[in-house]
Amino acid sequence: MRYKVGIDIGGTFTDVIAIGDGGETYVHKTLSTPEDPSIGFINGLTELAEKAGLSARQFVERIDTIVHGTTVATNALLTFRGAKTALLTTRGFRDALEMRRGIREEQYNNRYENVTPMVPRHLRLPVDERVDAEGNVVRKLNRKDLEKLAVQLKAEKVESVAVCFINSYKNPAHELQAAAFLRKKLKHCFVTASCEVLPCIRFYERVSTTVVSAFVGPIVARYIDRLEKKLAEVAYRGTLLIMQSNGGVVAPEVVKRIPVVTVLSGPAAAPTAGAYYATMLGYENCITVDMGGTSFDAALVIGGECVTSTEGSINRYRIALPSLDIVTIGAGGGSLGWINNGGMLQMGPQSAGALPGPASYGRGGSLPACTDADLLLGYLDPGFFAGGRLKLDVSAAQTAIGEHLAKPLGLSLVETAAGMYRIINSNMAQGVRQISVQRGYDPREFLFIVAGGAGPVHAAEICSELEIPAFLVPSVSSIFCAAGMLLGDLKHDYIRSCYASFRSLDRKHFLGLFAEMQKEGVATLKKEGVAVSKISFHPVLDMRYAGQYHEVQLAADWRSVQSFALTDIFEAFHAEHNRQFGYSLKDEGTEIELINVRLRVVGKNEKPQFAKPSGKPSSAAEALKGHREVYIPELQAMRNIAVYDGDLYLSGTLLKGPCVIERITTSIFVSERYDCLVDPAGSFLVYERARFPGGESEIRKRYRQR
Amino acid sequence: MKMKTEQSVDKILVSILQRAFKAITDEMSISLTKTTRSPILCEAKDFVTGLYDAEGQMLEQTENLPILSFSLGPVCKEILRQYGSNLREGDVIIHNDVFSMGNQNNDVAIFKPIFFDGELVGWSAAKGHQADIGGAVQGGYNPNATEVWQEALRIPAVKIYEAGHLRQDVWNLIFANIRLQMVQEDIKAQMGACTLGERRLQALYSKYGRAVVDLHKHALFSATEAMMRAEIERFPPGEYKGSSWVYYDGKHPGSKFEVRAQIRVAGDEIWFDFSKSSQQTKGFVNGTYTSTCSAITLTFLQMVNPAIPHNEGMLKPLHYIVPEGTILNASYPAATTFGNHLCPQVADSIFKALGPAVPDRVTAGWNHLLCSLFTGTHPRTNRKYVDICFLGMKGGSGALKGCDGYDHIGMIDASGGVLDQDYEMYEQQTPHMIIKHEYLCDSGGPGHWRGGLGTETQILLRGDETTMVVFGDGDVEPNYGLFGGKGSVLNRIELRYPNGKKKIPKSKDMVHGIPDGTVYHQIAGGGGGYGRPKKRPREKIAQDVRNGVVSKRAAREIYGFKS
Repeated sequence: MRYKVGIDIGGTFTDVIAIGDGGETYVHKTLSTPEDPSIGFINGLTELAEKAGLSARQFVERIDTIVHGTTVATNALLTFRGAKTALLTTRGFRDALEMRRGIREEQYNNRYENVTPMVPRHLRLPVDERVDAEGNVVRKLNRKDLEKLAVQLKAEKVESVAVCFINSYKNPAHELQAAAFLRKKLKHCFVTASCEVLPCIRFYERVSTTVVSAFVGPIVARYIDRLEKKLAEVAYRGTLLIMQSNGGVVAPEVVKRIPVVTVLSGPAAAPTAGAYYATMLGYENCITVDMGGTSFDAALVIGGECVTSTEGSINRYRIALPSLDIVTIGAGGGSLGWINNGGMLQMGPQSAGALPGPASYGRGGSLPACTDADLLLGYLDPGFFAGGRLKLDVSAAQTAIGEHLAKPLGLSLVETAAGMYRIINSNMAQGVRQISVQRGYDPREFLFIVAGGAGPVHAAEICSELEIPAFLVPSVSSIFCAAGMLLGDLKHDYIRSCYASFRSLDRKHFLGLFAEMQKEGVATLKKEGVAVSKISFHPVLDMRYAGQYHEVQLAADWRSVQSFALTDIFEAFHAEHNRQFGYSLKDEGTEIELINVRLRVVGKNEKPQFAKPSGKPSSAAEALKGHREVYIPELQAMRNIAVYDGDLYLSGTLLKGPCVIERITTSIFVSERYDCLVDPAGSFLVYERARFPGGESEIRKRYRQR
Repeated sequence: MKMKTEQSVDKILVSILQRAFKAITDEMSISLTKTTRSPILCEAKDFVTGLYDAEGQMLEQTENLPILSFSLGPVCKEILRQYGSNLREGDVIIHNDVFSMGNQNNDVAIFKPIFFDGELVGWSAAKGHQADIGGAVQGGYNPNATEVWQEALRIPAVKIYEAGHLRQDVWNLIFANIRLQMVQEDIKAQMGACTLGERRLQALYSKYGRAVVDLHKHALFSATEAMMRAEIERFPPGEYKGSSWVYYDGKHPGSKFEVRAQIRVAGDEIWFDFSKSSQQTKGFVNGTYTSTCSAITLTFLQMVNPAIPHNEGMLKPLHYIVPEGTILNASYPAATTFGNHLCPQVADSIFKALGPAVPDRVTAGWNHLLCSLFTGTHPRTNRKYVDICFLGMKGGSGALKGCDGYDHIGMIDASGGVLDQDYEMYEQQTPHMIIKHEYLCDSGGPGHWRGGLGTETQILLRGDETTMVVFGDGDVEPNYGLFGGKGSVLNRIELRYPNGKKKIPKSKDMVHGIPDGTVYHQIAGGGGGYGRPKKRPREKIAQDVRNGVVSKRAAREIYGFKS
């Protein structure tokens, strides 16, 4: 028996999943060890071995691959605890990083401060050199400058250096020389050049991304080193792969070189798992949402692929590498209710977090949170939260909601709790609208996949606001991310700037750039042990009509690119422009420009087989736990409805709404107008009864139609 | 009767509708960003989208630039006055006329009446700064203009679509008078955004029904009004005065004009009276009623809770008195294109007036705009280009109690809503090469809280016969510090020609035939400081010195800092 293991380390829990080659699955949750996450990593492995009935050593010997998602880089950014970083940049441009092109996001708020730059001004050091817009050297790199700077960096005890010169995307020679020099002089320093991270036009985007990489670099590298050492100590001989922000996985060596690729390592797994689930069940397009304690993440899967974007930022720090396009809003179980001075009820974005947590946790929190409302509305069982491990205090929830909200609003407790529920659902619906409608997609055409503990309580109302007729709660919803890690392919993204009008585009140059990226990608994948037959290429062209400022990232056909079939490429561009913006300029014959060329090189991973549970499924009657008073939004009233045990094997069973399906890890609310069907994989498919009189087969038909 | 109405209000639905309105105007705004061609729209985001009810009352707006905060509502009411019941589903109305509530000639608005069950229920609207609007000079900034026709084509409200049908003759008439084809495309993009707003608002009406939406809309107005009234009540009642100077009207060197605010706070209402301001100028340095009201509104909004929703309720307790014939509301047929850039003086006069009453809400002086615009031919591509030098023009904001000013934010009209061009894109799209764009040492007005930093920009101008238009202010009188804080440095633009000669243009000017190899040098000053510099925490001064944004000498002499 051989295993593949996925390990997702979050702020509170470390989730581990192991899948054997026969499909048997073991899952485990253990506490994270934030001071050194690699301890929790090894604990997770050891404890999981017990579940599999093996000694730690025996278990580790049988693992072929470990895929790991880490929040080390994310946390370093969010808590601003990165390395002491310096920036070497062209003289005259040292402030671009801090200026952020002069934006103040809150225009009416004079107390809204700029972001603290990751490199303070005194460590942003100018270098005498200049390359012009055509790539010609206008001013030679001054070696004497560099020597002086190296001495200064040593004296300042800098741990990491980013090098970013203007127009280096046209000619990287100066950057590479400077980086090589520093690597020689500063042996213990992490050195990174912008042309190694993001060799494309737009100085601000590039300097910011490079500095993020330098800022988290030494911390990520140290962590990976420690992890590799610990794995060697337990005699692990398999492969270690790390989850990247783009939804792919990558070898540790690459992460150590370009650490910024792991900034979204944790959250990237959920859409990846969503994409897999959707495809497995025969659906092509889905929206995955993940509602946890403090935030709600939404992402899009189209044609079985997660959608990536280069528009991302974290904490207002711009990162322009392709990352999964995830919209995050401050809505979670811990989101607090409050009243503004116009007397209007608001939810979040402030959160009670896990500590002190919602009032009902009884851990010292006294403010009313979303979980408290869910409890009063009957969606949660005070004695069965987290399977009964955390007893919820109903009277504390009543006091918090009563004192802070119901009394000032002049509403009853239930009315107030229902208001909190409606408002937070409407906030989350806006988040989903943002990821779909504002990107030119109609959410009603997508299957809605719900992960995270708090999500299934709220999904029906979010769907109803967006007129989405069905949602799916996967059987592994609580360790969705860990499972998702086993599903990611090896993915490497390359980019080259190629700013030119197509009228004057040089075929040889264009193909040469792709050949270069292809070669680099294949070499990296080979090092990662991928067979050539498993490698595929996915080119993207950043294009626009001459005179436009915003470009379209066109996913082009690899054969068209290789054969320089411009007519096909133009056709695809007009169509994509029309899809995104509602018009194209095909008939006007407007000139088209190319900005960048990108190549994603993918090494297909073997997907583990999840075993299908077997035996005789329980009927609805057998799964019935009892009845309790639950708030029905359509009726705006509490009703006594059925509560089912969702941890039983229920394949093929229909659970009629309204009802609550309780699992140890979550609670699914099936509202008045909905029914729930459990599919063979143990996932819960909840759908609007009236829209699908034919039940499941009709749902399948609808979402498979494209 | 009243009791009964209040009882049927669903307080939760009020919160939800507020978000729904905001989501609609945001979506309209995103659509415009992505579909417009002119960089003034898609890069600088000089546009506003909004929803109004059947009486022209504001439901919500997305104002990318605060100076547009007041620019649609009055026009909507004007259109309703003009058309009365002569409105049909599928109508589209275009408008820019500054003598019928327009704010600036170049800001062209599209209004679409929204019907539900055959009745007018509201309006969607979008207004954007067009790349050209006819008149004597491309782009609209004509420092020599003395009357409106030298600046722009006047478009009083006129239907370009009637009941869904394009009025091709009217369309042709308008666009025969505008230079660039791009403007037609951008107007179409604005119509697209309005259609989006129409569909979304209709969807809300179908979902909840007309009676419910209307009832809750009023409840939203009342709640918002209550928030604004609660804020105003925290201002001590009384009369307050402040003033600020405008230098040079583009015609008469040495001329200057006063903007005078008299502000009265009584209970939970506030009056802004600018009657005592100078008479209008003979040049184009004149405001319009609407742009002045925008300037007043945005300044006041910066002094209150930023979370107050933007709808009619917010405006109810605010009163504006801006008599015709003054520099802030020029009479027909004056030239007014410069009007939006009187915002800094309006803001200064309000902050100065209210400083003593609410010292913790006002800022010291913001840097006034001084801006240049280059046109020429790119030698590599042989194409014409127009470039507003956003990156050079952005100075610092004034400090306030407890908070340093914001560095390199730019004019208060935009308050950080306009972005610099990216350096590398700039060097591709223009022939020029940037030599320097950095914070300027000692440009933040000294104070307990320091003013935001200004910038120094140097650009090597390439290509022959470049033309430069300059417009702005801030090159005569330094901006002000507050409560012992000091002002910042002056704005300055200088051309250093290859033959060694120098030229300093006036603040409203046009320079032709600039030769290849000329160096453009610009200083955008910082913001004013707040409180006595000697009280500034020592560690902050040490940090500023270490970062090279305050010199050792200034630290010693102004801040009394011993290192």
